[in-house]
Amino acid sequence: MAIVVQIPTPLRQHTEGRDTVEARGSTIQEVLDDLGRQYPGITQRLFDGPNLRRFVNVYLNEEDIRYLDNLKTAVKDGDTISIIPAVAGG
Amino acid sequence: MTDSRSTKCRMTLFEISNLAMTELPADAAILERYSRQVKFSGIGEEGQRKLLASRVTLCGVGALGTVLANHLVRAGVGRVRIVDRDFIEIHNLQRQVLFDEQDVADNLPKAEAAARKLRKINSTVEIEPVVTDIDHTNILDLVSDADLILDGTDNFEVRYLINDAAIKLGKPWVYGGCIGSHGQTMTILPGETPCLRCVIESSPPPGMAPTCETAGVLGPAISIIASYQAVEAFKILTGQTHLINRNLIFLDVWENVHRSFKIARLKEQVDCPCCKRRQFDWLEGKMGSHTTTLCGRNAVQVAHRLADRLDFEQLSRNLEGLGPVTYNRFMLRFAVDGYEFTVFPDGRAIIKGTNDIEKARTLYAKYIGH
Repeated sequence: MAIVVQIPTPLRQHTEGRDTVEARGSTIQEVLDDLGRQYPGITQRLFDGPNLRRFVNVYLNEEDIRYLDNLKTAVKDGDTISIIPAVAGG
Repeated sequence: MTDSRSTKCRMTLFEISNLAMTELPADAAILERYSRQVKFSGIGEEGQRKLLASRVTLCGVGALGTVLANHLVRAGVGRVRIVDRDFIEIHNLQRQVLFDEQDVADNLPKAEAAARKLRKINSTVEIEPVVTDIDHTNILDLVSDADLILDGTDNFEVRYLINDAAIKLGKPWVYGGCIGSHGQTMTILPGETPCLRCVIESSPPPGMAPTCETAGVLGPAISIIASYQAVEAFKILTGQTHLINRNLIFLDVWENVHRSFKIARLKEQVDCPCCKRRQFDWLEGKMGSHTTTLCGRNAVQVAHRLADRLDFEQLSRNLEGLGPVTYNRFMLRFAVDGYEFTVFPDGRAIIKGTNDIEKARTLYAKYIGH
């Protein structure tokens, strides 16, 4: 199923400038894998080996996936995945 | 309904003006100063008295910090300690609301210039400027007498240090960060909410994330994030912690995005080294940068302990608009504002053009980021 993935500004250099991308899958992992197939540069920015980088947080709708089922969290049509990197400046 | 509320307001003001004529004129004058805030039901006279009696340490008085300091001092927070290591430059004026061209000409440290301006705004507040680099040797002294710590910094090294100190001492603090047109904020109540390390388990390694120098930043985004932080401060200082925001707020003013992510359950879910296992790695100096002057070379070496390996391709992309950048697999070189950076894959950098350790750390945070 098609899931909307919101891409944060620093990662849009890997998605041809798109702020949202549709990707397919039935879990967060599958959707992010599909995102990486469409835009290969982004996988290395999100993952350190099999794990998400520790300064990248992923939210399913408004929920942090770490208290759901992490990358195995099931997704359904209409869901939005947001990638939110830590914001350093100020 | 409206009538009875306005009567109540009038009576309160009547009582205040009575006080002015009798035993406590100074007190009444103070309440008159804050009357519009006292009339707001969430603060009231009791809340105002709590603000007047409270003490805040503000870490960093740059973009977020000047907006925060402005709100705190105008609102009558009794004692405000402002800590900053930096000097004012002309490009700060676009968003750092307490500074002006004369401050740049006078070459004033930010903490001192901010204190001078803030005293003109509200001479009844005790303002203590501290010009220093916040590190693991001094942070406990800077925050141990505060009721609240506010984050006006621009880097995660100091934020994790604040987080360690706040959790260790059981003091609330409010994180804020901004880049470009987006920013985020969260409020940390030790023992009650997730801490910074629960939510952001580690900072982006140097060079991996944009900084305000490499990606720019908009003043209005700063004002909104800092204003959220200030309101959280008012709630905490008036003893109304049940009202705090328990989500991670993320907004982008250019893209009309305003999100509120639920993070409260992370407190139970994450095996946090800081707030659960009480390992204070930044406070104990096990994490963070290690800075040394390279004698006779007009250069300073900044090394990040336990930093991941740098991604030179990404760092080069971040820096390419600022000055010449070259790199191979062993080192990356770039020059900006008369400083020459030589950066190594382990995060170490030699910054040529200064012998000043604090300046070098500032330059590292600005251009390489951490």
